[in-house]
Amino acid sequence: MTELLRVEDVVRTFGGVRAVDGASFAVADHSVTGLIGPNGAGKSTLFATIAGSLKPDSGRIVFGSARIDRRPVHRIARAGLVRTYQAARVLTRMTVLDNVLLASAAHPGERLAGLVLRPGAARAHERRILERAHDLLALVRLESHAHAYAGTLSGGQRKLLDLARVLMLEPSLVLLDEPMAGVNPALREELLERILAIRRDRGVTFLIVEHDLDFVMQAADSVVVMNEGKVILVGTPGEVRVDERVVDAYLGKAH
Amino acid sequence: MSILASGGFWAFVGVVAGIYTILALGLQVQFGFAGLLNFGQVGFMAIGAYTMAILVVKEGWSTWLAAPLGIAAAAVGGLLLGLPSLRLRADYFAIVTIAFSEIIRYVATNDTALTGGSQGTIALGPIGTASQYNGQWSSFEARVQHALGFSSSDATMLVLVWGVAVVLLALCWLALRTPWGRVLRAIREDEDATASLGKNVFAYKLQALALGAALAGIAGLFYAWEFSFFSPDDFQPLLTFFAWMILLLGGLGRVWAVPVGAGVFGFIFAGTRFLDFAPFTWFASDQRAYLRLIIIGLIIIVLVLVRPQGLLGNKREMVLE
Amino acid sequence: MFLQLVANGLVEGSIYAIAAVGVSLVYGLLRLVNFAYGDMMAFGALIAYGVDGPLHQSMVVAALAGMAATAALALVLDVVLWRPLRLRRAGFMSLFLASIGLALVLRQALLLAAGSQPRSYDVNPYRVFVLGSVRLSEAQVIAIATAAATIVAVGLFLASTTAGRTLRAMADDRVLAAIAGIDVGRTTRLAWLISGLLAGLAGVLAGLVEYSFDPNFGFDLLLPVFAAVVLGGIGSAYGALAGGLVLGLVQELSTWSGFAGGVNPVYKPVVAFAALAVCLLIRPQGFFGQARVG
Ligand SMILES: Nc1ncnc2c1ncn2[C@@H]1O[C@H](COP(=O)(O)OP(=O)(O)O)[C@@H](O)[C@H]1O
Ligand SMILES: [Mg+2]
Repeated sequence: MTELLRVEDVVRTFGGVRAVDGASFAVADHSVTGLIGPNGAGKSTLFATIAGSLKPDSGRIVFGSARIDRRPVHRIARAGLVRTYQAARVLTRMTVLDNVLLASAAHPGERLAGLVLRPGAARAHERRILERAHDLLALVRLESHAHAYAGTLSGGQRKLLDLARVLMLEPSLVLLDEPMAGVNPALREELLERILAIRRDRGVTFLIVEHDLDFVMQAADSVVVMNEGKVILVGTPGEVRVDERVVDAYLGKAH
Repeated sequence: MSILASGGFWAFVGVVAGIYTILALGLQVQFGFAGLLNFGQVGFMAIGAYTMAILVVKEGWSTWLAAPLGIAAAAVGGLLLGLPSLRLRADYFAIVTIAFSEIIRYVATNDTALTGGSQGTIALGPIGTASQYNGQWSSFEARVQHALGFSSSDATMLVLVWGVAVVLLALCWLALRTPWGRVLRAIREDEDATASLGKNVFAYKLQALALGAALAGIAGLFYAWEFSFFSPDDFQPLLTFFAWMILLLGGLGRVWAVPVGAGVFGFIFAGTRFLDFAPFTWFASDQRAYLRLIIIGLIIIVLVLVRPQGLLGNKREMVLE
Repeated sequence: MFLQLVANGLVEGSIYAIAAVGVSLVYGLLRLVNFAYGDMMAFGALIAYGVDGPLHQSMVVAALAGMAATAALALVLDVVLWRPLRLRRAGFMSLFLASIGLALVLRQALLLAAGSQPRSYDVNPYRVFVLGSVRLSEAQVIAIATAAATIVAVGLFLASTTAGRTLRAMADDRVLAAIAGIDVGRTTRLAWLISGLLAGLAGVLAGLVEYSFDPNFGFDLLLPVFAAVVLGGIGSAYGALAGGLVLGLVQELSTWSGFAGGVNPVYKPVVAFAALAVCLLIRPQGFFGQARVG
């Protein structure tokens, strides 16, 4: 297996709280990797640290062949590593469609120089991504809301919009923070299929935090278990399901 | 009442409203587009006006070279202010921008050799001479007046200022509708989320700050040309607050709300001079100047309290947080 | 010369410190950067002038009257302006802009009521105290003594009274304080009361030290006070005290000829801002400020 992401001894503290406390694991290219652990285990903090919106106190994060733990967020995103938020951060004062269009990478129309010097290229790019944006909205079943303000969406719909938005970036690694929370159960099954299809068709790798363990067990090739800021186990869904340490962690038993 | 009826007076009010439109448009780009709380806008206006006047008087430059340089200097001022301060929290940024404009004013007041000091531009040249920076502008204005067949220079200035203002408004309106403007609108709402979509938030903010500063520089040029003389006292923080009031009056994030706000502001500012009925007649004329500012202060407060998106603003797109 | 500048710096600085605590306390509780604070100071100074001059009361009575009136003003403004804004959950931007509007209203109302002519308190400007190589005017001595006493009193109040600890707890975490059963409304009024008293006092002391003042003088004091607040880490009362003193000293000492020939005194305000800028570059959260979690 080739590694796409490697997290080495990452520590991130808030005041006295060691939210992530020396976590290490790797994510294989083209895999769907689950990241599970009880509330407060440090999963969201780890996501923020990998995506660059928080800087680690120590440790290394390697994406592809480059070290990214000191890079600013936007450069990590442009390199193809993007995240969604546990509480989706869609731009509520823009339309759903604009939210998706916004995520397009390398848009000549997003630079003043590009607008002035290459207006044709900017318009052509905008036309191309408009089509793509509608496809992605159809994928998450938000097509009929395209022109509504994103602020009018429900919590679950916002998560779907967030997903469509990161896919717009054509990433190679997507971190999803609890993508199923608040999403209509009827849609979950379909979403799972879509994620697997995106991985198959576009070679996108997923690292997914999810409390719905059935979902994780169905989707993931490999599962990373965190507790109290540390990675306590990495294995296949089958191995994780029967491991006592996992049960202990969820039940809050001391070792 | 005679002045009130005179076209010249209202043309003057219109010119001032046009200058304020350009000044407040700069704030609209910075705050209405990108969410930057700039309270030092008047500082950029001063940079534009002084750069032009100094280059014309001291260096003998042509007005048509000095004016663009004034605008560029204001934009560079925006870059220099933004580089260290745009990373600060919004409240610190607001304080730093006011401090910036006050530094500009202190320097203009005290660096007599450069700016003429508190005596203003009249002292720009060698001692004993009353210097003028607007010779070329005046003859240009006269030619335009002749070409238009106007009888008054006030009306000519009105056309010139508003001609430029309308072009700038249109450009900003267009810019907001481009993908570039879309990124700014996203930053104004949630800069962290925008950064995680791969946008270099800092660079965009810097651009917005510098562009807004350039607009203030243009306002400074027209201010200088309209009054043929200025001094550091013309660039009190009060002007920035007027521009904010115009923004709030018009509407946040809406380009065409700016001239509406400026028009209402001009009307309040000029119109209150003519409140010659009770209770206003109880006050002397200098006291009425205080009353006028009290009214403006109250308007700001009331707008913040009851209409935080501005009169023409769209509540779903932007409100004052 | 150096010692004289230190003394002047302490006088200036202690006035900044008092005002900075007043600004910082309210910020800590309400996230309000109060742009009208300078004009509240001018209000207090003018009330005291009315009591001291025309009414021929002693300066102590005048100062107390100025403080009481400013505190009353602060409490009234809380009811008519700040509370409605809090109820509509107004954020920092709204509060800041409203305070700018309020600053305009207050200052122009003072000008309307009192006129723009400069005034002076009834103190002898020629009485000078000599302490070694340092000469201080009577007003400066009064200012520094009062300020020192006030700073100690405020420090003790915040550190060791229940009310003071409540204030600091609420400044730290409003939500947690509310959960812990602190009466938020009462604590807010207490903060305004203290902030108003300090504004009045700082205004009177500044009027004394500057010898002559007019209704506009509050605004000129406001920016150095803001600089002190930011230096101290906005919201931190102890930081504001330290920030004020440091700023006063830096401003005065920058003019010392031993320091690269000395800065021209007219640029003292610029020095204050430069100090602020340098500080923010090094520590974006303020010199004495703590980086907030999250
Ligand atoms: N911004 C923050 N400030 C302080 N503590 C935080 C912050 N973010 C997370 N934490 C703490 O870090 C720990 C891990 O939280 P989090 O990463 O959200 O866990 P998870 O996503 O696994 O539920 C928790 O104890 C949480 O309280
Ligand atoms: Mg989480």
